[in-house]
Amino acid sequence: MTPEAIHDALQQYFGEAITAFDADAIDPTVTVEASAIHDVGAYLRSEPDMLFDSLMCLSGVDYGEAQNSLGVVYHLHSTALRHTITLRVEAPRQDGVVPTVCDIWRTAEWHEREAFDLFGMRFDRHPDHRRILLPDDWEGHPLLKDYQVQEFYQGIPVPYEGDPPEIGMDVYRFQDREDLA
Amino acid sequence: MCAMAGKPTGDVYRFQDSKGQWRTHRRPSHHQDGFRSGGPGISYERQGDDLILQMGPQHPSTHGVLRLEIVTDGELVKHITPHLGYLHRCFEKHAEAMTYPQVIPYADRMDYLSAMNQELAYVLAVEKLMGLKEFPERLEYIRVLMAELQRIASHLLAIGTYGLDVGAMTPFFWCVRDREKILDLFEWVSGARLLYNYLWIGGVAHDLPAGYTDKVMEFVTYFEPRVQELNDLLSSNKIFIERAASIGVLTAEDAISYGIGGPNLRGSGVKWDLRKEEPYGIYDRFDFDVPVGTGEFGVLGSAWDRYIVRVREMLESLKIIRQVVDQMPGSDPNEAMPRRIRPAKGEAYLRTESPRGELGFYLVSDGTEKPYRCKARSPCFTAISALNAMNHGGMLIADAVAVIGSLDIVLGEIDR
Amino acid sequence: MLQYFRNIWEGFWTPLVGLSMTWRKLFVPSVTMQYPEERWELPTNSRMQLFVNMDDCIGCLQCERACPVQCISIDTVKAIPDEVEETTTGHKKRLHVTKFDIDMVKCCYCDLCTFPCPTECIYMTPSFEDSSPDRYGLVYHFVNMTPQRAAELEEKARQFDAAEAARKAKASEKSATATA
Repeated sequence: MTPEAIHDALQQYFGEAITAFDADAIDPTVTVEASAIHDVGAYLRSEPDMLFDSLMCLSGVDYGEAQNSLGVVYHLHSTALRHTITLRVEAPRQDGVVPTVCDIWRTAEWHEREAFDLFGMRFDRHPDHRRILLPDDWEGHPLLKDYQVQEFYQGIPVPYEGDPPEIGMDVYRFQDREDLA
Repeated sequence: MCAMAGKPTGDVYRFQDSKGQWRTHRRPSHHQDGFRSGGPGISYERQGDDLILQMGPQHPSTHGVLRLEIVTDGELVKHITPHLGYLHRCFEKHAEAMTYPQVIPYADRMDYLSAMNQELAYVLAVEKLMGLKEFPERLEYIRVLMAELQRIASHLLAIGTYGLDVGAMTPFFWCVRDREKILDLFEWVSGARLLYNYLWIGGVAHDLPAGYTDKVMEFVTYFEPRVQELNDLLSSNKIFIERAASIGVLTAEDAISYGIGGPNLRGSGVKWDLRKEEPYGIYDRFDFDVPVGTGEFGVLGSAWDRYIVRVREMLESLKIIRQVVDQMPGSDPNEAMPRRIRPAKGEAYLRTESPRGELGFYLVSDGTEKPYRCKARSPCFTAISALNAMNHGGMLIADAVAVIGSLDIVLGEIDR
Repeated sequence: MLQYFRNIWEGFWTPLVGLSMTWRKLFVPSVTMQYPEERWELPTNSRMQLFVNMDDCIGCLQCERACPVQCISIDTVKAIPDEVEETTTGHKKRLHVTKFDIDMVKCCYCDLCTFPCPTECIYMTPSFEDSSPDRYGLVYHFVNMTPQRAAELEEKARQFDAAEAARKAKASEKSATATA
């Protein structure tokens, strides 16, 4: 199916939950209401003319403070019918909640944990909602555009402290090596 | 929410089996509701007689710094929780501070055993984002040549270390000996042995030196009999088969649902290769087969199947390399290299077949010279997430080591 | 029963095949090298330590900008016209380079800095055996210039600028009076 046909079918089935469709983008993208993403996913997965059985990629995006939104982008592919669609949901930067899709595609389980770890959006009904790459007691979510690194982590200074002290060697090593010059 | 009322949401899978037949599977109901792993965190089943075993972060067979929390009942593994992040460098945050060409060295360092494939994936993603399509023929052929050489090098190490994991020492030495020859070829063309920064956006760092293809052919003729040698030495060894052919069984539906690609998926009998299914570059011009696991010595989707798919893929890569060398046109590969790399506003996702599976890059551009968002979808990350799905109840602690080895993970890519 | 004995036979035979191959390998020349005594011949474009030919450096900061890890740091001072020299490639050296440090500990050997250089004075050499007991020992200073000399040059440039500004001001004053 073409992306347009997929969008039309979604529009017909879900109505107002489908908020936008960008057909001219490099990967045509359907924007979905955050609360409906689980239903849309289940529909796309099980409908006989959709059969999106593989979630290629799930990525979080920070759209910045001006828009005040965090996005989650789902790249779907059907290995049976060979068509592709991109879904996008947006949630507010503070306390944004997106329903999980990891009971539909198991690969989403860890990708959602990664998105939570690096962006901080919550995934509702996720069975194992923990950080995955950073330590559990890390503060903040590093891929946010306004992220400030914490000063100390367990007593260890975190930010890199400027230039090295001026104790560099004043021997000009390369210059007494004729074989290289 | 209630829009779904009355609509069956069965988990239906369609996939192509090893004979090319389309098959439909319905997920068993105990898969549909909830997860086998139980509640959040590591708090489950800690009472009673269970022993919680911490394997790693420093352990020779975790192929990097990975910690596995294994809940054991005697010798049996009940549950494995992988703890990642010991090698986390936040590649994605780095990439946001770099211009597009400067990300390439970082992409190299994601999966340091197949750096050419990482570069290729990133570069193709940027080109998709920029809308570049026309490239000199020679550039396309160089890319395929490098990607396939790197695939062989990567598989050689995967096979060698897998032998090492299950106790076979000699194959490792032989594999590394042959891999050195490929690294020498790479060093000759790019100047570096492991992290090349060779494939650039719309071009390459240097054209192939004179006589390069002859050396490649020399390697191909040298290497082809070595594969047979490896098969005699390890693949058909009864001890090795008994060790690997019935453990770590990954069913095809689990593999697809977990998003596993590459040899791990093909080991489960699914004929799926992105070079065939969605040919990027000029892969549609080459004639090669996609080897799949057949379960000839045990259960389909076992560790041995994943292993043998890698061995057979090396032969297919050699086939591609032969064709590349035969057809290699002579011209300037850098004719179409863009001067300024500043993609228009937009976003693109592109996936390629790396030696470890499906490697994708999701790039968002805001019209500046630096990517706004650069997400790497790593194949090992999804592979290690399926570790629990390979435990069907009879996994021993020693099998855990052998199963992880057969997945061919690189922690640099998992943690990024 | 037959399968039982076949398994035993295979268990003996297939390792023997492997062992015979490893035995045969005992009589072929070894592929390893005794490293410090024997050396591999490296290709000419090997990317190891960076080197800067300071005679040709014009202080354009292109390499500093191209570096993904910021391991190059360069300071420049404007050269007064009498002191402008020419590089071997025919570029004018309009800037004195007072500091050209490369921190080889940070360097990721990506070779990105060598391509934008207009005079091709920064390049990677096939020397790979540099090591240091401390982490600042691999900061290479390619400019042999004391801070006093740098300050002197800066002062000179400042004076030249001041003189030039004064001359310009006078000239504009003169032209202003002339037009008036």
